[in-house]
Amino acid sequence: MSNDIDSELNQWLEMLQSSDLSDRLVAVKSLQYLGDEDALEPLIAALGDESLAVQKLAVTALWELANPKAVPALLECLASPDLEIRAEALSALGELISPDRLLLLLDALHRDDLNMQLNVLILLRKIHDVQSLPYVLPFFESENAQLREAAVTTLRYLNQVERCDRAIPLLSDPDDSVRRATVLTLGHLVDSEVVPRLCQVLTSDLDWQVRRNAAKSLELHADPAAVVALELAIADEHWQVRKFALQAWQKTPDNRTMPILIQALTDEYSDVRREAAKSLAALKNPAALNALQQSLDDPDRDVCIYTQRAIETIQAATKEISNA
Amino acid sequence: MALITQRVDVPVIVDESKCLEKCTACIEVCPLDVLAKNPETGKAYMKYDECWFCLPCEKECPTNAITVQIPFLLR
Amino acid sequence: MNTQWMKTDVLIVGGGTAGTMAAIKAKQANPQGDVLILEKANIRRSGAIAMGMDGVNTAVIPGNSTPEQYVREITISNDGILNQKAVYQTGKLGFEVIQELESWGVKFQKDAQGEYDLKQVHRVGKYVLPMPEGKDLKQILTRQVKRHKARVTNRVMATRVLVKDGRAIGAVGFDVRNGDFVVIQAKAVVLCTGASGRLGLPASGYLYGTYENPTNAGDGYSMAYHAGAELTNIECFQINPLIKDYNGPACAYVASPFGAYTANAEGNRFISCDYWSGQMMLEVWKELNSGKGPVQLKMTHLDEDTIAEIETILWANERPSRGRFHEGRGENYRTHGVEMNISEIGLCSGHSASGVWVNEKAETTMPGLYAAGDMASVPHNYMIGAFVFGRLAGTNAVDYIADLEHIEPDAEFLEAEKTRIYAPMTRPNGVPHTQIEYKLRRLVNDYLQPPKVDNKMKIGLRNFERYQETLDLMGARDPHELMRCMEVHFIRDCAEMAARASLYRKESRWGLYHYRVEYPEKNNEEWFCHVNLKKDSSGEMFLFKRPVEPYIVDVDIETEVYDVAVR
Ligand SMILES: Cc1cc2nc3c(=O)[nH]c(=O)nc-3n(C[C@H](O)[C@H](O)[C@H](O)COP(=O)(O)OP(=O)(O)OC[C@H]3O[C@@H](n4cnc5c(N)ncnc54)[C@H](O)[C@@H]3O)c2cc1C
Ligand code: SF4
Ligand code: SF4
Repeated sequence: MSNDIDSELNQWLEMLQSSDLSDRLVAVKSLQYLGDEDALEPLIAALGDESLAVQKLAVTALWELANPKAVPALLECLASPDLEIRAEALSALGELISPDRLLLLLDALHRDDLNMQLNVLILLRKIHDVQSLPYVLPFFESENAQLREAAVTTLRYLNQVERCDRAIPLLSDPDDSVRRATVLTLGHLVDSEVVPRLCQVLTSDLDWQVRRNAAKSLELHADPAAVVALELAIADEHWQVRKFALQAWQKTPDNRTMPILIQALTDEYSDVRREAAKSLAALKNPAALNALQQSLDDPDRDVCIYTQRAIETIQAATKEISNA
Repeated sequence: MALITQRVDVPVIVDESKCLEKCTACIEVCPLDVLAKNPETGKAYMKYDECWFCLPCEKECPTNAITVQIPFLLR
Repeated sequence: MNTQWMKTDVLIVGGGTAGTMAAIKAKQANPQGDVLILEKANIRRSGAIAMGMDGVNTAVIPGNSTPEQYVREITISNDGILNQKAVYQTGKLGFEVIQELESWGVKFQKDAQGEYDLKQVHRVGKYVLPMPEGKDLKQILTRQVKRHKARVTNRVMATRVLVKDGRAIGAVGFDVRNGDFVVIQAKAVVLCTGASGRLGLPASGYLYGTYENPTNAGDGYSMAYHAGAELTNIECFQINPLIKDYNGPACAYVASPFGAYTANAEGNRFISCDYWSGQMMLEVWKELNSGKGPVQLKMTHLDEDTIAEIETILWANERPSRGRFHEGRGENYRTHGVEMNISEIGLCSGHSASGVWVNEKAETTMPGLYAAGDMASVPHNYMIGAFVFGRLAGTNAVDYIADLEHIEPDAEFLEAEKTRIYAPMTRPNGVPHTQIEYKLRRLVNDYLQPPKVDNKMKIGLRNFERYQETLDLMGARDPHELMRCMEVHFIRDCAEMAARASLYRKESRWGLYHYRVEYPEKNNEEWFCHVNLKKDSSGEMFLFKRPVEPYIVDVDIETEVYDVAVR
C-alpha cells in the first residue's frame, strides 16, 4: 500500500516539473489532497513558479501540510504583487506562526515594502509579545495611514503594555480609521491622560464611529470621572453612540443622570430603549417607576422584558430599604 | 417506464475552456457526488441535479472554471 | 458485481464531525489498533461542516461558565427530558476539544488579550464562540486523520450494521461509484452518520434544498433501529427558523452579537432570545399566524462597516452561497431584512433531541455499537457535542474490543441484504428515486408538520407503512442512483418512527417540536419520561416509556420553565 502512495507521490512530483501549465496546476492540486510531507520542498520551490495560479495553490498546499519549515518561504509571499497570494499566505501564517519566529518577523518589518510591513504588523498580534513594542512604535509616525492604523491596533494585542503615551497623539490623526483604532486601543491603557482624552473625543470627534468606540473604551475604564461626558453622549445624534454610552454609564451609575435616562426610554431605537431600562434598574431609584410603567407596553418584546425587570429590581430595593 | 428527456436549469456551470482534462478535484470533493467527467470531452459537468449549493467544487477548482448558482427553485 | 471484504478493529461509519474525531481518538488510544472510516462522500469536504462553521454554539470555557451551568441551561431548554450525565460530558470535555482543535490549527475568535471571545446568545450564559476563519475545519480534521494513520474508504455507503450473538460485528454497504458490494468485519462499530435531514420536504419543493447536508438522510437512525438498538425522543422534531427558500441559517448567532435581531414585519422584537429552541419556534409560529409576519432577521439599522463585517463572516463560512442567494434576489442587508420561515421537520439531536439512545460513554443499547453526533440522543449537542461524543465513542470502543475477536457474519443475512440493496438495479425502468422520495416527503409535510393532529398523524402512519411496497417500485440505472434509492429506504423508516413516537406521547412539550392539538398542555405527571422505540423480536416497532435518569445537577423543572417571550 505504501508503495502505491510513493508512486502516486512521484507521479505528481514529476508533473510539477512539467513545462505545461495545466500539468503543474493538476500536480500542485493533487499534492495538496495527498498531504504527503515528502512534498514539502518541491512545494516550497513551487512558490517561485512563473504562474501566479500555481504559486497560490502552493501556498494553500503548504498551509494544509502545516509544517513550520515552510514559514520563511511563506513569509516572502506577504510581499507578493498578487493580492490573493498575499491574503492566502497571511491566513496560512496566521496558523503556522509561533513565538519563536519573532525575530524573523521583526526582521521582515524592516523591509521597505508596504504589504510586507502591513502583514507583519498583523501577524505580530498572534504572538502578543511585548518585545516587539519598540519595532511597532515608529510606525505611529508613518506617512501611510494604513500602517499607522495597523500599528496602533497591534499595540492593543501586546500583552503587558499598560502605558504608551506615544499612542495618544494619534487621537488627532487626520484619518478616521486611525482614530477609530486608537480609541479602542486606549481602552486598554492606563496613562493618566487617557480617560480625559477619551471623554473629549466622545463629545467632540466628528466621526460617530470614533465616538462610539470611545464609549466602548470608557466602559472598560469604568471611571466615574467620565460621567459628564457620557451624559452628553447619551443624547448623541447617532444611536450607536447613545447605546454604548448607556452601557458605559452603567458601570458607574449616577443619580444625576436620571432625567436623561428617562428621555432615552422613548428613543427611536429599541436597543437604546432597552439600555435605558437597564440603566434605570442600575440606579434603583423609585422616582423612575412612573416612566418605566409607561414603557411596559413598548412594541419591542425585549424592551418590555427589561422594563419589567427594572421595575422589579427597583421595587425590591425599595422594600429592602424600608425594611431595614 | 418511458424515458423522456427533460431540460432542467442546473446550478453548476463549468467553463469548459478552463477545465483541465487531467484534473478531478471538484469531482473528488462534492459531498453529493453529482459531478462527473464527460468521457468525450474530458471536461467536468453536472451529471445529477442534486446540489446543496455548498461550494467545495468551486473553491477547490484550480482554474476557477466552476460557478455554482442557487438552484432555480430557490432563486 | 464484485464483493470487497474488509477487516478492521474499530469501524467508523460516517467521517464527518464526530466520525473523524472518533477515528483520531481511537488511534490515540491504541496506535497499533486498526481504525477504518467508511464514508459515503469524501471526508475532506463531507457532512455538516463541509465548508466550516460560523462558530461553536456550546462552548463551556472555564471563567465564563461551568459544566454544571451548562447542564442546567440545557435541562431547562429541553423541558427536563435528558440524560444529564451525557450532557455533562459535552460541558466537561468541550474545552479540551477546543484546545486540541486549536493545537491542530483551527482558529477561534480571541480578543486582544488572547482570551476566547465568547458571545451571549443563550438565555443566560455565554456559550457561543465565533470562528470567523472556520472554513478549513474539515481539511484540518482530514490532515489529523491521516497523521494518526486511520484508514479511510471514501464513497462507500453503509446500509446495515452486522449483528451476531447480540453484538455489532461490522457493517455492509456498497461502493457508490463502481457498485461493489462491501462487507466490513469489525470488533466495534461507531455510527456517526449525522441527522435525518431529508425528512420533510422544503417548501420550495427542491429535494436537496435542506438545512442539513442532504447526504445525511437518517442513515444511522435506520441502521441502528434495524440492528436492534433503542432510539429516543424521536417526537422532538428539529424545526429551524431559516432564511426563507434558501433554508440555511440566517444566521442570528453570528449577527446578533453585532446588534442584529429577529423581528416581526414591524421591526419589533417578539422574542427575547435568538437561541434556537422549540419554545422559540412556537413563538415564531404564533407571530407568523398573528398577522404580524413575516418574520425577519433585522440588520437595516446597523452601519455599513458592521454589515460589511457580518457579510465577510457569513459569506466565507458554513453556507457561503448565502451571499449569492441574496444578490440573486436583489436584496441587501443594508436595505432589507432577511425574511425567515419555519423549516420542514427533521430529526437531529445536534439541534433538538432525537436520536439513537446513548449513555455518557456513547454506548447504544446494543453491545459493540456506539453512536455520536447529530444521530446520538444528546440534546442540543451541536458541533462541540459531536466532537465530544466522537471522542468518547472512539476511546470507549477501543477499551471494549480489548479481548474480542472478529465474528464471521451470517451468510444468509449477507445474501438477503445484497438482494435488498441491488433490487432497484434489477428494475432500471422502475419509478425514479426522485419521484418516490418527493411523494414520501410530501406526505411527511402533510401529516407530521406541527401542530400535530391525531387523525392526520394516523393517516400519515398508514401511508408510511404502505410505502414499503412503493419502495419496491423504485428503479436505479447506476450505483449513484442506487445510493439515492437506499436513502429513500432510510427516510421511510424515519418517517414511520416520527409518526409513531409523536402519537405515543400524549401531551405537548418542547414548544413547536411536539405541539399536539389534542393535548396542548405539558403533563409532567404522566410524561416526564423518554419515549423510546426499538425493533422487537417479531420485527415490529415497539414503543415504551423510559424513565429519565436521576439528575446530577439539581433543577426544579416545575418552576424553571424555558420562556423566551413572557416578561
Ligand atoms: C448549515 C448548518 C449550520 C450549523 N451551524 C452550526 C454552528 O454555527 N455551530 C455549531 O456548533 N453547530 C452548528 N451546526 C451543527 C453541527 O454542524 C452538527 O451538529 C455537527 O457537525 C454534526 O456532526 P455529525 O458528525 O453528527 O454529522 P456530519 O458532520 O454531518 O457527518 C455525517 C457524515 O456521515 C456521512 N454519512 C451519512 N450517511 C452515511 C452512510 N450511510 N454511510 C457512510 N457515510 C455516511 C456523511 O457523508 C457525513 O460525512 C450546523 C449544522 C448545519 C447543517
Ligand atoms: S476542478 Fe476545475 S479544472 Fe478540475 S475537473 Fe473540476 S472544473 Fe475541471
Ligand atoms: S455546490 Fe456542493 S453539492 Fe453542488 S456540485 Fe458543488 S460540491 Fe457538489
